[in-house]
Amino acid sequence: MSPSELSALLPILITAAAASALTAAAGFYSKHGFVAGFTMAAFALSFASIFIAAPAAPIAVSSLLVVDGFALFFMGLIYAAAFAVALLSYGYNGGAGGKHTEYYILLLLSALGAAVLAGSRHFASFFLGLEILSVSLFGLAAYMRSPKGNEAGLKYLVLAGASSAFLVFGMALVYAATGSMEFSAASALATRGGGPLSLAGMALIVAGAGFKLAVVPFHGWTPDVYEGAPAPVGAFIASVSKGAVVAVLMRLMGGSLASGGPLFTFLAAVAVASMFAGNLLALFQENVKRVLAYSSIAHLGYLLVAFLASGSFAAGAVAFYLAAYFVSIIGAFGVVTVLSVNGSDVDSLESYRGLAWRRPLIGAVFTAMLLSLAGIPLTAGFVGKFYLVAAGAASSMWILVLSLALSSVIGFYYYLRIILVLFSPSPRELPAEAEVHPAGSAALMALFAVLVFMGVYPGPFLSLVGAAASGLWQ
Amino acid sequence: MTVPAEHALALAAVLFSIGLAGVLARRNIIFMLLSIEVMLNSAGLAFISAGYMHGHPDGQVMFIFILAMAAAEVVVGLSLALRIYGSFKSLDADAASSMRG
Repeated sequence: MSPSELSALLPILITAAAASALTAAAGFYSKHGFVAGFTMAAFALSFASIFIAAPAAPIAVSSLLVVDGFALFFMGLIYAAAFAVALLSYGYNGGAGGKHTEYYILLLLSALGAAVLAGSRHFASFFLGLEILSVSLFGLAAYMRSPKGNEAGLKYLVLAGASSAFLVFGMALVYAATGSMEFSAASALATRGGGPLSLAGMALIVAGAGFKLAVVPFHGWTPDVYEGAPAPVGAFIASVSKGAVVAVLMRLMGGSLASGGPLFTFLAAVAVASMFAGNLLALFQENVKRVLAYSSIAHLGYLLVAFLASGSFAAGAVAFYLAAYFVSIIGAFGVVTVLSVNGSDVDSLESYRGLAWRRPLIGAVFTAMLLSLAGIPLTAGFVGKFYLVAAGAASSMWILVLSLALSSVIGFYYYLRIILVLFSPSPRELPAEAEVHPAGSAALMALFAVLVFMGVYPGPFLSLVGAAASGLWQ
Repeated sequence: MTVPAEHALALAAVLFSIGLAGVLARRNIIFMLLSIEVMLNSAGLAFISAGYMHGHPDGQVMFIFILAMAAAEVVVGLSLALRIYGSFKSLDADAASSMRG
């Protein structure tokens, strides 16, 4: 392996080495403070190594991985999100005491899987990355050792296992039809139309990936898993695992989806169904985590609008929207996290009544995150949604753009409902509330700052996204 | 005499459907895990036959990956099933379904 290939792979190698080192050290030394600090340092180092890898990009490392601007952008997003989740988890798991080594090892491994997905260009690395990500997430989802947590873990495992089977079977069919497992061959085939075998294969791959993205009709597991999983893990599943799958799908089929073809039509129907079903079902929820789960279903539906639009502008819109969505959803789950301790999450809507008066800072952050999810101006979510609409309109996909606008209006209602609860008077008898850990508040403040910065002054971020997207599909 | 690769692919498709029907119809967690295993192995068989069709070893490599992943998944699945049994005193997937909506 040449030095430039090695430096391009550094972000992945550092995370992998950190996960192995932490596993080896777990037997001797497992103080929570050390383990969490080590994990965060590993994420920070992986993030920093992206700047070392950038001069070498774009470079193909064996036939499995490619490290280009697009992959590096998503790796940066993944590591930043994983860092925020680790910081939130530190407070959630009770500060310096206790033993939670497995939690952080699994977090490192799932970030590793996501990073591999971001750079994969071959079915083998697609499959391996996805499985490193999901198998670690099963453990994380069940980490809260409660009946609900176990149920969430098992539900996630059964559905993710079945969806992986769909995915690999689809890969096998495409391989049988084309004789190649590299994405370039598969997408060339999709452009030419391909035979029934490859079409069936691509459809199975889309179905398998649809489970991970939790888009309608593959969304059934989402609310239960988000409710049962610990809040920081919910944030991770909602952001990193979906973002990584979007990245790999963009590389596999984005840009080669012929408008009007069967796959295009199917994905357009999935997008419309996800936007409406997600927003409508969220209206009736009394549990904040479930509201966020349905909201994430709707958001992935929005994202598909730009995914279906072709061209590097649309790819940039997807990347920007994902970044804005990452900040907002991690922030929203982060608020649930800082109010909860491991084992009992504060997630019923009633327990948030009057929070803005009792804890003004957290109330303000939660309000900002919800407004961003709703797409109100001056937040990152607004700029993201603006670019989605622009990308959809540039490709004249009017039905999709119209459903995006209509379903967003429905979405306003339940975000405003939570905000209204936050600002209504406190109930007489206050429930016992946990102290907010400083690590959690630090993470929330940082996310809030990024959210407002991206919303008010998106220029620098947009040029970054544009540069990342321009290198894709060449 | 040799088996044509298309026949092996068709067999894989049949096995995949059997596994899928098992996941959907069975309520016992162990049987659901078993059915997922059948689905994954049918995908492995499809990869081997596709590799055979083109004369590549890649299909068999993928089969080994799938095997390793299925083993990892079933380990986590069985340990979760034990914990489900501990908290719900049942391995029925419907009994272990407290969250609705």
